[in-house]
Amino acid sequence: MAESNPTPSKTKSPFKLRWQKFWGVFSEVPLIGWLIGILAAVVLEQLVGALFARLVGLSKIPVLFGFVIVLGRPRLIPGTLIYLLTIYALPIGIITLVGKSLTNKLAGMLAKIPVWVSALIHLALLYLILHYWADISDYRDLVLRLTLIAIMLTLSLNIVNGYLGEFSCSHPGFMALGAYAASVLSVVFFVQDKVFGPPILPPAAGPFIFPIILILAGLVAAVGALLVAIPSFRTRGDYLAIISLAFMFIIKSLIENLEIFGGPRGFMDQPNWASLPIVFIWAMLCIWTINNFVTSTMGKALNAVRDEETAANAMSVNTRRTKMIGFMFAAFWAGIAGGLFAHVMRYVNPGTFGIQKLAEVLAMVYFGGLNSVVGSIVGAVGFNLMSEALRPLELYKWIIIPLLLILVMLYRPSGLIAFKEFNIAKILRPKNTKDDEVEDGTTAD
Amino acid sequence: MALLQIEKMTHFFGGLRAVHDYNLEIVPGQIRGLIGPNGAGKTTIFNLITGIYTPTEGRIEFEGTNLIGKQPYEVASLGLGRTFQNLRLWRHMTVLEHVIQARYSKLTYGLAGALLDTPKRREQEEESRKIAYELLDLVGAKKFADQVVINLPYGAQRRVELARALAINPKLLFLDEPTAGMNPEELAQIMGTIRQIHKELDLTIFLIEHRMKFVMELCDIIQTLVFGEVIAEGTPEEIQNNPEVVEAYLGKEIET
Amino acid sequence: MTSFLQNLVNAFQWGSFYALIALGYSMVYGVLMLFNFAHGDIFMVGAYIGFFVSSAMLAAAAMFSIALPGWLVLTLTIILAMFLTSFVGMLVERIGYRPLRGAPRASAAITGLMIGIILETGNLAIFGAQRVSFPALIESATYNLGGVYITNKKILIVFCSLLLMFLLHQFVQRTKWGMAMRAMAYDYVVVPLMGVPINTIAALTFGLGSALAAAAGILFGLAYPVLDPYMGILFGWKAFVAAILGGRGSILGAALAGFLLGFIEIFVAAIFPSTLRDLIAYSIILLILTFRPHGFFGEAYSARLRL
Repeated sequence: MAESNPTPSKTKSPFKLRWQKFWGVFSEVPLIGWLIGILAAVVLEQLVGALFARLVGLSKIPVLFGFVIVLGRPRLIPGTLIYLLTIYALPIGIITLVGKSLTNKLAGMLAKIPVWVSALIHLALLYLILHYWADISDYRDLVLRLTLIAIMLTLSLNIVNGYLGEFSCSHPGFMALGAYAASVLSVVFFVQDKVFGPPILPPAAGPFIFPIILILAGLVAAVGALLVAIPSFRTRGDYLAIISLAFMFIIKSLIENLEIFGGPRGFMDQPNWASLPIVFIWAMLCIWTINNFVTSTMGKALNAVRDEETAANAMSVNTRRTKMIGFMFAAFWAGIAGGLFAHVMRYVNPGTFGIQKLAEVLAMVYFGGLNSVVGSIVGAVGFNLMSEALRPLELYKWIIIPLLLILVMLYRPSGLIAFKEFNIAKILRPKNTKDDEVEDGTTAD
Repeated sequence: MALLQIEKMTHFFGGLRAVHDYNLEIVPGQIRGLIGPNGAGKTTIFNLITGIYTPTEGRIEFEGTNLIGKQPYEVASLGLGRTFQNLRLWRHMTVLEHVIQARYSKLTYGLAGALLDTPKRREQEEESRKIAYELLDLVGAKKFADQVVINLPYGAQRRVELARALAINPKLLFLDEPTAGMNPEELAQIMGTIRQIHKELDLTIFLIEHRMKFVMELCDIIQTLVFGEVIAEGTPEEIQNNPEVVEAYLGKEIET
Repeated sequence: MTSFLQNLVNAFQWGSFYALIALGYSMVYGVLMLFNFAHGDIFMVGAYIGFFVSSAMLAAAAMFSIALPGWLVLTLTIILAMFLTSFVGMLVERIGYRPLRGAPRASAAITGLMIGIILETGNLAIFGAQRVSFPALIESATYNLGGVYITNKKILIVFCSLLLMFLLHQFVQRTKWGMAMRAMAYDYVVVPLMGVPINTIAALTFGLGSALAAAAGILFGLAYPVLDPYMGILFGWKAFVAAILGGRGSILGAALAGFLLGFIEIFVAAIFPSTLRDLIAYSIILLILTFRPHGFFGEAYSARLRL
């Protein structure tokens, strides 16, 4: 979805020009440069982090870039800042700036091999970064996994609320279906449990069957989505909103009444299969398939149905099928996210999937940006980070975060990064070329 | 064989009779016109044929296939395209994306292709792009291909809408007031474009219009619709000289 | 039979809360084409303001050794709290919704959600985790009508609700401003062009709706004295469902749907195990919506959320 070629603005304040020049240097660093730089930083933290932290007066490595420290114990701010500068800013800065031409050359070489190979290399680097970063503490590991799951949730909700343009409140319900389906399957087949008895299959085989369990969980959620998708043929907008809301209440109440799944007390004993690499892989699969979908003509049909359904019909777009696919595909990934969530927390209860969760996912989608893969990633990561970082503020966290969101709504009503398309090849290529109009098949931002 | 055959089509909106005993037979290659005062039911007839409404009575057959009860997208897939009186463009899409979108029913790569970016999907998407460019070239809107459609001037938007309708590869094309809002220069251009697509794409055209000069010059046979009923049908000369038509419609119109 | 009547009485009371809150939703929805998801929390704010006002009155009376009859305190509380809460509503409109008037409706909805969260958190910050108890203003008196036990509170609640609804109806039908509101519900775009100040209408709509929600809050506090900051959430969302069920822009529909929801919940809880209440109630609602997708009195008008 390109806009008409942007021409540089002719009048800019001198401050803005200087600011742009400063960051302009960074804009010439290719993605691989950033990845290598950040990898160096986290490896450095692995090697000398603990020692250095004590050196600057911190009792341990700041878990969340020092946000928690800064807000809770201001006396440690100077130490934290020094830590951040040395361990993070320094390696990243050196490698990106000094190594700019080298990394650009590397990016150039990578641009010559097939895109998917290059993408995999970048993903591997990204994974290494996350791995080393999370290795420092269990808290980091948990936050990271939950953030990746949040990305999946946000992306899947964006399909319905952003691309298809409905106001769907049923996502917690899809998540719940997936969470419980996955949990029950795992426990029934692989765990010794009070209610379900001995495992039916050898527990050692569990992790290998886990992907199948997740997919089944997604399918359960997708079938559940039919309850919302079919009414969407006849009604739209506000009426569909309450249908989806009723759906959410029904699912929640259904689970609360199923004693065999623990009812309101919840369900536990899920095996510890949702480790960081597993969650990471699923999250990347989610991003990849959803991006593929929304850039295809089949996926863009969602937009056509949203903006002018009558015209879409007249242009041979099967609007019913489009709506069904939209809802079911979104529910599928919400279900998988739910299944992963259940196995990360190793406990689920129906209370998790109510109004609070609804407000959370809606906030993430609208904050990050509607109709945009990048927007959803930004929204999920940003929201989660804020939520964790502002934890020391306790109650006031829930005044600051909503206020922030209101501000975003006021100035960018569709979200921070809305209606922007994700072009993988464009993101991976070297950034020191003057030619910024390289297209690669699909229209891009 | 008739391309489109309609017999005794009648439609009621609640208690209001919008269309009464409408008959139509379009032969391949024709350019047919439908004129009449505002509110006569012309767009309603389009909507009835294309499946937006289901007629209360009557028979509609397209190339021998019954259309009644079909969803609009099924009708479109069969080869019946249309444009809209009020454009109905997709606000966030570019011009190119509009035309590509209409190729929806021609794509066979399915969900697997959409999700997994298979070679088949790439092939078909690339082909769609090519066809889209060709069509845009045909209607004279190629230079706008990458622009978001709401940024364009009205005349260009009309062309995009035309290209979009052509992308479903129609045998029969319904044009709903294609010259609405155009100045004389644009009028001449669009007439030329319609003639061109009629010839090059081997189309049959059925259009609703208010501009008499346009209709008289383009169409082979014209129907005049007043209060849902056809009061005259014939060649442009016959229509112009038909006293009922003159009285009901032409006489009160200001010629452009 | 007596248990049926008993439940009927309870249903009327329970439904009154939903109806009063749903009215506020429906008015804002009808006149301004948007949903105020902070509305449930305004109900909560109204209850707390009522608590504050009545406690202050009682304390002042005690200080000056004046004996204030309970019904007087209650009446003054309701009036005062409605008045004060209407300002809260107008403030919410001014800050959260007016700047977003041209924006997609979904964005306004999210803003409403966020404002609601701020209200809840604000309450927690002020009152802390402890719950407050609405002062007992009326001595409970129970009447036995042929085996059916009706408390005076229940009568009062239903009576007040119906009275307020009647007053609202009169306002909307017979005053100039009411007419302006009805006009806007028909055509949102044209009416401001006719010289009707949209800002005033918006403030008025929010103010009225909030006042009704406040009344509901106080009546609720009368029946269930223990208040908590999250009391508005569930009521709010359910009243939202009722407002839509009643049909777009229909005040009568919203009131009816509110009562209907109350009936469904009470009777379902009476017949089935109470844990199944939400499940069955919402299944019934889903069924209603399947057969009447536009609510009771809504026109066949698909309100689309424009992005």
